[in-house]
Amino acid sequence: MKLRRRVVRSSVAALSCLLSGAIAACTGQIGSRPGDPFADGGPPSADGSPLADGALPTDARTPVAPAFRCDPAQTPLELPLRRLGRAQYTNAIDHAVRAIDGALVGEVRTAIAPFMDRYPQDHLGASIDGKHGGYASADQTVQQQHIDLSYDVATRVGEVLTRDAARIGRVFGACATDTNTANDAACIDAFLDSFAARALRRPLSAEDKTFYRTAIGGRTAAADLADLVALVLSAPQFLYHVEHGAAMADRPTRFQLDPWELAARLSFHFWQEPPDEALREAARTGALATDAGFAAQVQRLFDDPRTERALDRFFREYLWLDTLPSLDSRVGDPVFDAFRAEVSPSPALRNAMIDDVLSSARNTIRTGGALTALFDDRRSYARDATLAGIYRTPVWSGTGDAPTFTEAQRAGLLTRAAFLSTGTINTRPIIKGVFIRIGLLCDPIPAPPNNAAATPIPMLEMRTTRQVVEALTEAEGTPCAGCHSSLINPLGFASENFDALGRARATQRFFDAMGRVVGEAPVNTRSTPLVSGSDPRETADAVQLTRTLIESNRLQACFARQYFRFTFGRLERTDGSDDCALSRLHDAALAGRPLGEVLRVVAMDPAFRSRSFQ
Amino acid sequence: MSDEPVFTSRDRRQFLKGLGGFALAIPFLPSLVAREAAAQGMPNRKRFAQLCTAHGGLWHNNMFPSVSTLTEQMPFKGRTARRGDLRLSPQGTRTGISPVVSSAADRLTPALLAKMNVVAGLDIPFYIAHNTGAHLGNYARNDGNGSDGMMVQSQPRPTIDQIMAWSPEFYASTVRRRVMIVGNRLTYFWSNPMTRMGTIQQVDGTIDSLELFDQVFGPIMVGPARRPIVDRVIENYRRLRTGSARLSTDDRRRLDEHMQGLSELERRLSATVSCGTITRPTRGSLPVIRTMDYGRNPASQAQAYQLYNDVIALAFACGASRLAVLYADQTFSTFTGDWHQDIAHKAHLPGMTEQRTIVASHQHFFSEIFLDLARKLDAITDTDGTVLDQTLLVWSQESGNHTHENQSMPLVTFGGAGGALRTGSYIDYRETSREMGSRFQGTPEPRYTGLSWNQWLANALQVMGIPRAQWEESGGGYGVPYVGADYRSHYPAAALSGLSDPLAYLRR
Repeated sequence: MKLRRRVVRSSVAALSCLLSGAIAACTGQIGSRPGDPFADGGPPSADGSPLADGALPTDARTPVAPAFRCDPAQTPLELPLRRLGRAQYTNAIDHAVRAIDGALVGEVRTAIAPFMDRYPQDHLGASIDGKHGGYASADQTVQQQHIDLSYDVATRVGEVLTRDAARIGRVFGACATDTNTANDAACIDAFLDSFAARALRRPLSAEDKTFYRTAIGGRTAAADLADLVALVLSAPQFLYHVEHGAAMADRPTRFQLDPWELAARLSFHFWQEPPDEALREAARTGALATDAGFAAQVQRLFDDPRTERALDRFFREYLWLDTLPSLDSRVGDPVFDAFRAEVSPSPALRNAMIDDVLSSARNTIRTGGALTALFDDRRSYARDATLAGIYRTPVWSGTGDAPTFTEAQRAGLLTRAAFLSTGTINTRPIIKGVFIRIGLLCDPIPAPPNNAAATPIPMLEMRTTRQVVEALTEAEGTPCAGCHSSLINPLGFASENFDALGRARATQRFFDAMGRVVGEAPVNTRSTPLVSGSDPRETADAVQLTRTLIESNRLQACFARQYFRFTFGRLERTDGSDDCALSRLHDAALAGRPLGEVLRVVAMDPAFRSRSFQ
Repeated sequence: MSDEPVFTSRDRRQFLKGLGGFALAIPFLPSLVAREAAAQGMPNRKRFAQLCTAHGGLWHNNMFPSVSTLTEQMPFKGRTARRGDLRLSPQGTRTGISPVVSSAADRLTPALLAKMNVVAGLDIPFYIAHNTGAHLGNYARNDGNGSDGMMVQSQPRPTIDQIMAWSPEFYASTVRRRVMIVGNRLTYFWSNPMTRMGTIQQVDGTIDSLELFDQVFGPIMVGPARRPIVDRVIENYRRLRTGSARLSTDDRRRLDEHMQGLSELERRLSATVSCGTITRPTRGSLPVIRTMDYGRNPASQAQAYQLYNDVIALAFACGASRLAVLYADQTFSTFTGDWHQDIAHKAHLPGMTEQRTIVASHQHFFSEIFLDLARKLDAITDTDGTVLDQTLLVWSQESGNHTHENQSMPLVTFGGAGGALRTGSYIDYRETSREMGSRFQGTPEPRYTGLSWNQWLANALQVMGIPRAQWEESGGGYGVPYVGADYRSHYPAAALSGLSDPLAYLRR
């Protein structure tokens, strides 16, 4: 049946995933890794038969070859002089101001807001292919704007803290406003001991104090004190994670972080902010330098609600949640309006979809679930009525047990709306496949051939998104087929029984230019996802794909890599020097330890508590 | 009432007034500014601005004048270079030289046309889809959609705007802002600009015209002015850098880079702007950008970019900054769907629906944004002419006549770069005796090989007065001299050699 032009366009628009910054095509050559996509996977299944609907055989759990080989003699490299991320920076300002007068935090925030609006955003880095995934913590560029604006901010904070004599008295003490100049040095030192020690995350040395005192001429006039604040908030120890370490008797190339450095690493890792008083006390007493004292602080920090802030960031980046497109940009288009029907896509719905995933992660951690529980969590965390409508569940109150999905085909993570929605009328199976292959399995995908974009789009009859994608990327003899038919498309096809707003469906509808339904065709979710090696077994849908992923035991190694990248702000090295840290994370995840415990493993690792100085 | 700026030869002082509520109170005399600059012995008054647009895919018969206007020819680089005078002709209800390069008759005047060049036949001889780095010479900034693109990702280069910005031959004295940057992922330089060491990293831009204004004309300090303490901040870094505490070599390099940035800040804080009284605008681009329908409202998009143009023109007039780069990633169209897929990737289809949409989009960009800036610069008097005469104003597009292919990427310029460029020309470097590769299904236009974009980049640097020693690749030209395996047989050696040579018909 020939369709009018617009119908065809709507159908092939599914290719947007193909060519818009994702995988345009594939040469089909699988290198070795970081090349071999199945390096950490097990052998293929014994019989190669398609899976029956329902559960996998109980013996299908794949034994895992060691993904990482720890050689303690190797020395991991360090990122040099890491700067505070944007969120860390703003939190550090709040923290320093709060230490002297919590009532001033709001005023300071308001005063520096014009500058912070312009402070550079952290760009994603440590992506395996430079374009998919990545972590903001890996952005270590220092732009001129960082320098200009941090100077402006520091100066402005100085102005706010010295606004008038009364303010100076509150912030610096009466010694700063009296007429006695004999106490000025002590007055400045006292401020340094409170404000600067918190801002710089360690007590100041006598030399430090001399520098700051001298820099303002030893005076306590308002302008001098404002300069003092600005100097502290412009200091390298404020804007960067400055670490010197201490020699280790048994590791000539590694240096143990001192308790203050360790306290800062811990608090910025878990809370994205400087150490609190308890952590400072542990550093001051040396308790943090003991294994027991350190472990106690790790547990305390992890249990604190502030940890959620950092973990939310991790899961947003690990699961590519910020790539969820705008959902409402096509509202008003007749075809899109017909497709969405009663659903009102909006920025709020997009946020609700992201929050649904983050809530699942939070709940997994809170309830002691393992990493794999995140993938087959079948609860709806929809606090938004529109999303709950998509899920056909009651609205969740935000506390207590969340309702369970009512649709059997909604498998868990991979069928949450955030992974299905596209902002168009079409699903994007290639994007879904690329996310699973690269983001969840850490398999590299070779570069597409140069001429991928030149592939003519066939203007043929009504076909499902899957059929269009198959025709374009899996045709025999094309350079695309090698990767798309094996590594990418099958993973994405498994959830084609959900539409581009995340609604369950059995058929795909087709529209004409006026938005009238002119036909429909059944969707096909059966595929051979090749999760582990050349495993030829077929999966029926996302439910079975989820089980296959979990039972492949390949999610854990990738998770270890991803959390490593988030923590250390860089890609793991291929020379094995990071394998000790990776293997500890991997082992904990593979053993089914609670996800929260796995996340704490990284802080307990020697690589976290020491550094090198190459 | 039109919301366009008022331009009259009688009252050039009003050149920035009347733009959608954006009214700079600038009772200054640009001509005096220029004379003052000249009196101060400013050795280089040239300005450079490049406006870069995404996608492309414009058929040549929509972008360029008719080949019949190419009346001159000469042997050049193993081919025949051709040239003709630009001549206005009716383009529907507009006047211009092509459907895209057209505007209202009172905007694109013969006098302005005489200051324009349109160049066909400048190529990137490899596959580099989805990039923002090619415009200014950092081919490494691409999405890796293709093995060639992946290959050059490991070979980043600074962009030519930054090469100019940090050249003492370009800025002999202090300016508030070396380069005005609108948009991101466009301009790159060393993490330590002064030593040209470290890593090559992005230099962020802004989309807020008020921020752009503040960058050039001064910080938005609220409190009473105080003596800067940058020198003491630097000393604090130096103390750590040279102290006895353990640091790695790279730790010290990072400290050096930060101190370099502080020195740049200190230098700028001491800079003064001689522009008379300038009032900070009350309205910027952000409210325009944040309107609900901005993404499909060409008028709003033009308004935002005209606000950037205002700041650029003012900065150029004052000499407060003489470099600007702008990445325009909007569609400049009312199209509501997936532009990339439904328009750009179908630009070649013979049905022409998509091509017409692309033409309308680019015509709007030319007329309302690129031409807008040219007119603003031409309305400001400078020694021996106008600011535009001292400027090289460039419009570059991401692709040639086939989306994601880079043969004959259209180049449009205004201004003579202080007499370094011959203008008023349509120049064509394409070797039209042999098609390059097969055509897309149904596409009506062939591809021909041209000369290297690297040669254009080298020419741009030279006309702006930047010595070769500061940028030239070992084999000549600027930018990675990479040629894709699929492209090698199409390019004769002569086309890819002598890449620093002056381009025929373009240079004086």
